[in-house]
Order: sequence, then C-alpha cells, then structure tokens
Amino acid sequence: MDVIFWIATNVFGTPAILLGAIVLLGLILQKKTVSQIVSGTAKAVIGFLIIGAGAGVIVNALNVFEPMWKEVFGLEAESLGQFIGQESFNAKYGSAVTLAMLIGFLINVLLARLTKFKYIYLTGHMMFWTSTVFAGVVIHVAGDVSFWKLVLFLSIVLGLYWTFQPALTQPIMRRVTGNDHIALGHTSASVALIGGLLGKVLGNRENDSEKLRVPKGFEFLRDSNVVTAISMGVLFLVGAIVVSLKGTPGAQQLIEKAGSQNFIIYSIVQSLTFAGGIAVVLMGVRMFIGELVPAFNGIATKIVPGARPALDCPVTYPFAPNAVILGFIGAFVGALIWLVVLGNTVAYIFVPTMIVLFFHGATAGVFGNATGGTRGALLGGFATSTVVAWGQFVMVKFLITSTIPDTAMWAADSDMFILGPVIALLAKILF
Amino acid sequence: MKMLCVCGLGQGTSLILRMNVEQACKELGISAEVDHTDVSSASGTPADYILTGNELAQSLQGHPAKMIIIDNYFDMGEIKAKLKQYFS
Repeated sequence: MDVIFWIATNVFGTPAILLGAIVLLGLILQKKTVSQIVSGTAKAVIGFLIIGAGAGVIVNALNVFEPMWKEVFGLEAESLGQFIGQESFNAKYGSAVTLAMLIGFLINVLLARLTKFKYIYLTGHMMFWTSTVFAGVVIHVAGDVSFWKLVLFLSIVLGLYWTFQPALTQPIMRRVTGNDHIALGHTSASVALIGGLLGKVLGNRENDSEKLRVPKGFEFLRDSNVVTAISMGVLFLVGAIVVSLKGTPGAQQLIEKAGSQNFIIYSIVQSLTFAGGIAVVLMGVRMFIGELVPAFNGIATKIVPGARPALDCPVTYPFAPNAVILGFIGAFVGALIWLVVLGNTVAYIFVPTMIVLFFHGATAGVFGNATGGTRGALLGGFATSTVVAWGQFVMVKFLITSTIPDTAMWAADSDMFILGPVIALLAKILF
Repeated sequence: MKMLCVCGLGQGTSLILRMNVEQACKELGISAEVDHTDVSSASGTPADYILTGNELAQSLQGHPAKMIIIDNYFDMGEIKAKLKQYFS
C-alpha cells in the first residue's frame, strides 16, 4: 500500500513528474535514441515548470492594466480579487489536466477508429489550454472535485470535442483547401463557423478577397511577440496618458506605484513585460508540447491509419492570405469597440489579447471569405471580437472567477467561451 | 546539423512542419537535429537551415542559416523535393 501511496503523491500528485513519465514512455515507444529520450524528457518537464513562472509575470502586468483602465472609465477600482492563479493551479490540478489530455486524446483516437468521424486532433498547445480552462471552470463551479472524477469528466468532454469539432468545420474546410486531406483542429472553430454563416447570409462570394490588392508590409503581423507588444503598448500608453491627466485620488494612487519613474515610461515597460510573460509561457508550452505531439501522432497513425489530421489554424492561411489580414482588421476594430462598450456598460475591463484576436479573426476571415468574399472575411473578424470580448467577460466574471481568471484573460478563446457555460452546467449537475 | 522550422507563434504549425521534416529526413537518409520555434526566437537561434514560409523568411533575412522556403507545410512531396535540392 505504501508503494501505491508514494506513487500517487509523488508521480500523480506532482504534475511535472507525471508529464515527464508520460513523455519518457512516449519517447521509448517511438524507439528514440538514448540522448533523444533524455533531452526530450528534460525539455518537457522544464517547459511545464516555465509556464508557471511566465504566468506570474503576466499577472503582475495585468494588475497594473486593470486598475488603470478602470480609472480611465471612472469605475470603482478593485483588484482582480481572490483566485488561485495559473501557477498554483498547475501545481494543484496540473496532474489531472495532463492525464485528461492524454485520456481525452485516446478517446479521440478510439472514436476515430470506431466511428465514421476519422479526425485526429493534433494541435497540442490548444489541447493544453482547453483542458486547463475547462478544469478551471469545473473547479470554480463544483469546488474541489476528487482527482479521478475530474480526470474522467474532462477526458470524456475533451475526447468528444476533439473528435466532433473537426467534423463540424470540415464542409467549409473542404471549400477552403480544395481537398479533403486535412481538417481544422483549433478552438477558433466556432468563430470560423459563424464567419462562414455570416458570409453565406450577408456576403458576396463573387467578390473574393484574393482579388484585392493588399499593400505589402504586413509581415510583422505574423510575429506574435511584436503584435502583442505594440498593441498592448498602445493601450497602456493611452491609459497612462488619460490617468496622468486626471487629477483624481485614484489616478494619484496609480501614479505613485511607479515611484520615482515617470508614469508613462513605467506603463510602457509594464506592457512590454506583459508581452514578455506571454513569450515565456509560450516557450514553456512549446517545450513540452513539442515532445508530446509526435508521440500522440505515432499512436494515432498506428491505430487509425488514414485518418485526417486536425491541425492548427494557420494551415488555412496560405489559401486566402488577404482574408487573413481582413479578418484580423475586423477583429481588431471590433475589439476596440467592445473595450469601450464593455467598460461603459458592464464595468468590465476587456483585455484585447492579440494572439487570440489575430489567429481566430484570421481563421474566421478565411472561412467568411470562402462563403462570402471580402465582406464575409471582415464580418468573420468582427464576429470573432464579439465572441472573445463578451465571452471573456462572462468567463472571468462568472465561470472561472475563483480559479484561473488570469489565464482566461489572455489564453481562453472562442470555443472555450462558447462551451464554457455548458461545462459549468454539466459540472453543476454531475458533481 | 541543425534545422529550425519556424512559424509565427512557434506552437502548432511549426511543430507539424518539424514532424514532417523529421519524417522526410528519415526517408531520405539525412541525419539532422530538427527543432521548431517562433519567428522572434528564431532570429537569435543558431541553425544550419531554416525551413519556413515565404513571408516569415523575409523577416528572417540576415540570419546566417540557409533558408528553405516551404509553401505547404503538409505536402510531404514538396518537403522532400526541396530537401533533395540541398542534400543530394
């Protein structure tokens, strides 16, 4: 019994070790060399631990951003409140999330083998974020659920989602790519479908966005670090200038945080710190997902030969590069509108997270273009900002408030926002 | 020899490319260490070859590595053909 207890606490209870064990097993099964096995396992574990460190940096910057924009809108300043936070959440529930990812994937493979839905979800980083955010919702709604109940619930939900999401988007995907070889496996599926629908109803397919001549010089949009830094930089700057001009006590309090440093310079540094924190988290995710996905792929190709891989959303971009830009423009303009509307109506400070707005807006743009040309692409982008802005508000305020609202503010996205209330309802009924 | 597969975010797409490049190298008998990353990190990462799309290759001008432009990250035929140009 002691041995079982020891394994339960030290392997299953320590997420980094559990992940290392899974990756180690995966690398051995792939018959990798000893040096590949050692370096792969080490990278996966380090990557997982890096996520927590980067998450802390992001929270610090958000703790400046939120009160600043509350002051801009003249709202009552309140801190983000009491919550577990990504770093502690990973430590406590990371094992359940890791196992749910693994078992959820195996359910996906099994369903692909047994049903006519032959899609294998291979977008590892989105698997991680979806599992994490859904776990955050369950724990917020149902409290401290027992380990295996949480794993079982998440695995089934995720297994079903990863199988049927690619199936739902495939009809338009076929039109986008012109073949049936690859599928979309990404949390932008809901906004992509909305974009496709809006394009169909309101767009004009004849007016294809690829007939447009988009000026060159948008290459920097492909670099997520740059886009995050610039956009958050501008928002922090505008916020800082407005706060500096306001003489209110709240504004004074904020400015004091900068100490002897100029408040505007301080704010710009905060915005770049925010971008830096995201870069750190993404590096951590890259390190461990990079070891996990090849193993997943190996399992899938053995069990379900000939299944379609469901892949990350940029697979659609080469098929309509102009629609990518139009979708992003629609999403960006929409995000600024919703930032002001949400601040003034429901007193929520929307964090217009550029990674989500870019990748989701672009995918919705490509889908909107496929059914409704230029207008479809722009509408798809705008619909994305609507889902992301209102979804973030509902999730942060009601569905994930006590667990990981810090993560929900920048990493949660369209499908998670659409499915969040369903997860919450199921968790309420079942636990 | 080190090959670096690059996409904008360095998360999903470059990883898929990496898996396909690893597969192609295996079939062609090329022995290489293949890694994947985002475009910002790539500019400071030493490598012998960088495999990426046309737009990102422009952002990586000045990198000492040889650029191999891949139009379709999922086309094993294209990846193999381009690798053959450099290793035959």
